[in-house]
Amino acid sequence: MEQQFTLTSEVRDNCLVLSTSGYVNNVGGEKIAEEFSRHFEGGTKKVIVNLAQSKVVNSIGMSFLIDIVDQLNDAGGKLVFTNLDPAVDKMLTIMGLFQFAGKAKNVDEALVSLTTGN
Amino acid sequence: MKDAVSLKISLPKIRDIELVAIEGLDRLAHHLGIADEKIGEAKVLVTETIINALEHSGEENPSVEVEFTMTKQELIILVKDYGKGFEPSSVEDPDIRGKMGTKDKRGWGLKLMKTMSDDFRIESDSHGTRITIKKLLS
Repeated sequence: MEQQFTLTSEVRDNCLVLSTSGYVNNVGGEKIAEEFSRHFEGGTKKVIVNLAQSKVVNSIGMSFLIDIVDQLNDAGGKLVFTNLDPAVDKMLTIMGLFQFAGKAKNVDEALVSLTTGN
Repeated sequence: MKDAVSLKISLPKIRDIELVAIEGLDRLAHHLGIADEKIGEAKVLVTETIINALEHSGEENPSVEVEFTMTKQELIILVKDYGKGFEPSSVEDPDIRGKMGTKDKRGWGLKLMKTMSDDFRIESDSHGTRITIKKLLS
């Protein structure tokens, strides 16, 4: 069974990289939002969410990420999703999230996109 | 259905119980030799259907009945709750642009179920709601 949710956080090239493991539900979404807020209040406006180790997510968990995307867009920032499972990618596409957030194959690609604008 | 395997479970309203159904789905797929990548979208459907049903299952019978019938070609998902029901046509599809700038970012379950499934049926009355989903696997 999918492991319990864990979140790791690091700052690379002035970008906040949030990497999840396990099921992203309401509890996981809230933990991501709390960690984001801590950095956002300190001025961070570029965020990468790496879902490589999260093969199961739900729409309630994702609603917290929509809120983060909303806050970042208001502040002139950007969020990029990476390492998406094809089913999660389709889910976010149906939700329309990529109209407001980016996606990249992996964290390194996302860092290039956020730091060079490519 | 020929060569079908089925699983029926009653899920109580406890945190992350939908993962038990996901585990069951994995076992059925493994038994039939269906690759993991073919059931990824089915997992989203199962998760969304169950959390939606548990949220609306009511206080008197806070559980949902789940049934999977799987062949190599397709999966039928049946989820029933015993809540007060709702009028499906009264639920508007959410739109991401409409969600931006508001506090309400939720309400995606039905849209995901309808869009990701190959057939979707919903029957609801004052005794509960029954959702039937078909997902092609081949």
